[in-house]
Amino acid sequence: MSSRRSRQSTAGVSRISDDQIIELVSKLRQLLPEIRDRRSDKVSASKVLQETCNYIRSLHREVDDLSERLSQLLATIDTDSAEAAIIRSLIM
Amino acid sequence: MRPPSSLRQEFLKKWMMGLQRYSTSKKNMSILERKKAIKLSADVAIASARNGTTCWSRALIANGYSKDGGDDKHLVEQILGPESERLIMKKVLTGGASVCNKRMRSKKILKRSCGIQRTRKFAPQVALASSIAKRLVRKRTQILRSLIPGGEFMNDVTLIEETLDYIISLRAQVDVMRSLASASELASEP
Repeated sequence: MSSRRSRQSTAGVSRISDDQIIELVSKLRQLLPEIRDRRSDKVSASKVLQETCNYIRSLHREVDDLSERLSQLLATIDTDSAEAAIIRSLIM
Repeated sequence: MRPPSSLRQEFLKKWMMGLQRYSTSKKNMSILERKKAIKLSADVAIASARNGTTCWSRALIANGYSKDGGDDKHLVEQILGPESERLIMKKVLTGGASVCNKRMRSKKILKRSCGIQRTRKFAPQVALASSIAKRLVRKRTQILRSLIPGGEFMNDVTLIEETLDYIISLRAQVDVMRSLASASELASEP
């Protein structure tokens, strides 16, 4: 794909082919948990985009929740305690 | 697709390195401050795994650079090590951005010229349906652009490519954070 792109950029105007976009959208579909399970091949681009945005937003929310949880958990663990040593050994 | 364990391991290592930067001040931090530190370290750590090869990772690093208090850029340096200066400058340099903008502009011109030809061929109802679909795609592409770090610098193709990589990286980040949270909860049970 990168060779295709470099040929396009030297031509001056980038002709982004439909095939490229279709290929990328299908890869995106495979990553999304909901759409992947559906049998239909005819998922529209706008639906894929919508599911992608929803998925990314849910991942962002999860990172935020986990950061919150961790900030509470790591506060209560005394850094010198046995539990902290266990966690440190799990991590390092 | 499960993110590769190598990605998760590298993220974990870099994230812990970043968190150590706060170890001296950790005792005096409020829960909110600690949460922000954890989140920022996590974001810079997952971005550093890409070593400046993707636009979103460079944007996250630049963001981490500016958010880590005005004067000491220790967080980013701690995680990225000697490479940090090169990677921070990579975002500041307009090389990548200007190429993307040029591509966007020429693509817009191409789209406009193609659009005029295409709608003339269809019957009115089909033209209406396809223009609604196009508008939806455009609107949702804009939303996606706002969700990906650095999205405003990307054309449509780059945006989707970056999205693919970003989702895999986000998943790795979530996996590791979730495991750590579960392990901590188990450890803190009386």
